[in-house]
Amino acid sequence: MAISTDAVDAQQGVDTTESWIRQYAHDHVAHLLVVAFLGAYPLVYSVLTAIGAGGVFEAFLPKIETMTAVFYFGLFAMSFDFISGYTGYLSFGHAVFYGAGGYFVILVANGKVPLLPPETPFMVSVLLAGVLAALVALAIGSVSFRLSGVYFAMITLGFAQVAYVFMRDWEFLGSNPRDGVAVSNDLHPNAFEIGIPGIDALNLAVGPLRGDAVDWLFLDLGATEVSYYMIGLVVLVCYLAMQRMVHSPFGRVLVAIRENEERARAVGYDTYRYKMAAFAVSGFFAGVAGGLFAAFRRSVSPDNSLYFLVTGDALLASIIGGFGTLAGPLYGRLFDRGVREFLSKTGGGGGLLPLLREYVPPSVLETGIINGMTIGQSIETFLNGHASLYLGIVFVVFVLYVPGGLLGSLRDRLGGPVAKRLPASLRNLRK
Amino acid sequence: MSVAGTVVDVLVSGLAKASLYAMMALGLTLIFGLLGVLNFAHGSLTMLGAYAAGLLMVTFAGTGVSALVWFLVAGLTAGVLVGGLGAAMEVGLIRKLYDRPPIYQILLTFGITLVIDELARIVVLFYGMQPQTDWQAALGTKPAFIADTLTVFGGTINHLELFEILWGVLTVLAVWAFLNRTRYGLVVRAGSEDEDMAAALGIDVRRVFTVVFALGAGLAGFAGALLMWDPAWAASVPLASETLLPAFVVVIVGGLGSFRGTVVAAVIVGMVDALMTYFFDHAIITFSGLPELTVFLILVGVLVVRPQGIFGLAEVGGH
Repeated sequence: MAISTDAVDAQQGVDTTESWIRQYAHDHVAHLLVVAFLGAYPLVYSVLTAIGAGGVFEAFLPKIETMTAVFYFGLFAMSFDFISGYTGYLSFGHAVFYGAGGYFVILVANGKVPLLPPETPFMVSVLLAGVLAALVALAIGSVSFRLSGVYFAMITLGFAQVAYVFMRDWEFLGSNPRDGVAVSNDLHPNAFEIGIPGIDALNLAVGPLRGDAVDWLFLDLGATEVSYYMIGLVVLVCYLAMQRMVHSPFGRVLVAIRENEERARAVGYDTYRYKMAAFAVSGFFAGVAGGLFAAFRRSVSPDNSLYFLVTGDALLASIIGGFGTLAGPLYGRLFDRGVREFLSKTGGGGGLLPLLREYVPPSVLETGIINGMTIGQSIETFLNGHASLYLGIVFVVFVLYVPGGLLGSLRDRLGGPVAKRLPASLRNLRK
Repeated sequence: MSVAGTVVDVLVSGLAKASLYAMMALGLTLIFGLLGVLNFAHGSLTMLGAYAAGLLMVTFAGTGVSALVWFLVAGLTAGVLVGGLGAAMEVGLIRKLYDRPPIYQILLTFGITLVIDELARIVVLFYGMQPQTDWQAALGTKPAFIADTLTVFGGTINHLELFEILWGVLTVLAVWAFLNRTRYGLVVRAGSEDEDMAAALGIDVRRVFTVVFALGAGLAGFAGALLMWDPAWAASVPLASETLLPAFVVVIVGGLGSFRGTVVAAVIVGMVDALMTYFFDHAIITFSGLPELTVFLILVGVLVVRPQGIFGLAEVGGH
């Protein structure tokens, strides 16, 4: 395939390196479109919310901070999907890798990891966090992959809960490990920087308060936007790496394991090794995601990183976005966060609450329905702050009736992976 | 404290914990044994049972001995209500997934927990209570003599512990009698053994599925009623995940689907838990998460050494 296009290019007298790039771009039209959209999103968001339109845009569009959170958690959900969706082994203790990455980055910054000073660049510590998580994955996988199905899910859950209880009560971590650990402002006053370590000009700090702001030519980006772009960039690189693996012969074997492991073994693949390798890769990216999460928030706690419900959130994102499609979990997480923000209790960052105050006259809100409960009160009781209920219902409906999730259904409609089918569909449109 | 006192202390609190663990896990193992569904919503059903029983107690119960009678009524009512919900769940949702890989049943029941927990949170908030904290009013319906202690060989025994042991033993006996001494229990065991054969012999297996799911859910609700009175657990929304995880441990250690295994595993886990709690309380080991950590280490250890559990059949290891 590659040879034949080269031959055609040579006939047309095109430089082959350039055509390689063109071919790559052609294969990734869908990705380019998504990246372009996400790249323009902060601008679009600021323009649309500035126009105002009575807060309608602000109500429906997720905030930039929310999108940043979607990125790093989306990466975690993708890594979860990489093992669970592709090989069919439900890694119910996946939070242990996310937590390992998060705790590692924070502990390095607090100077609690031997050999690594608090000044260690974040890019180094996050890479090491990924490696650590991959090693943990190999250790857990070496015993867990002797089991399958429900038993695999349970043993990974068991390992993760051991880690959870341990980190929750380990006093070495800080004065009150139950509430988590934060970066010490004495040892590590600066924000975590993403970029090329050692070259100051090529680094930008992330974080809602301490992040860098960029004012360069016509660009004027605040700390929030810089964090969005830098974390988004890391997630993009990780996604492309995973995407490459999924579409390689290695990825095909993972799917073969999911579809029929006995046959894959009979054909001659050492499935145990493939599963271990996939688990290590998945653990690595989960660790990186945890590192990004901890760096952005400057803290990590057992309940938001190691608890089994964190894995549950990744599962939710994967099922809604598309189990067994790599990019799906990111969209699933976007849906999850979008709904939560829309139905938030405080209405910070838009959502239903300010919208109702703006548009619905108080007389309507104060109309009683049953037992003197007003419409306003019932919205307060059943909608705001209770997004989990509606997400849970969506989750159940998806499990029952849309097993492919959002991206999987789109894929079915197009007749193949979106990234592959989109260029052809676009070409048909042009004709 | 004397050695005998220590032994009595640990033994009784171990048995009390074992009773609670057995009650949390019995329904789960019953459902898995017949249907092959690992019910992630089990903890949520327990939590609903705790609230239902608490509501009845707070509304109706008097004090003194009559509270015990009311407690029996409240526990049974909670069991019946939650059991009915379980039957509805099985018929409406879970039935659709029997022909899909077992992973999907985990996913579905996990989704059901999300919905149940959030609904519970809405209702609890609506009545002006905090979903995260224990329901003190329900705890307060305990008659005073249950909170008393007595001293045996120098060890202190809480009456509540004795009550829990009695309750647990009676529940285990009742389930055992149902499975082994009734005709319907025979049908259930036949279905667990070989579903196709049971169907071929003219048993309506689908209806048995519904009944067993309702029974398992009802046991969860019944267990919730007892937990509602125990200050270490008490009715709260997080009770759902707090009970789900130990129930999983017990069921897997005993062997998924094995009634005998679950009872034995509950005793083992309860005893180890009590022993570790004793170690921590007496500063022999100063790690506060010790009991919980050991419980999960038992799970991991058993899965590494003997994946099918103590009394599980070897073949289910590849489920």
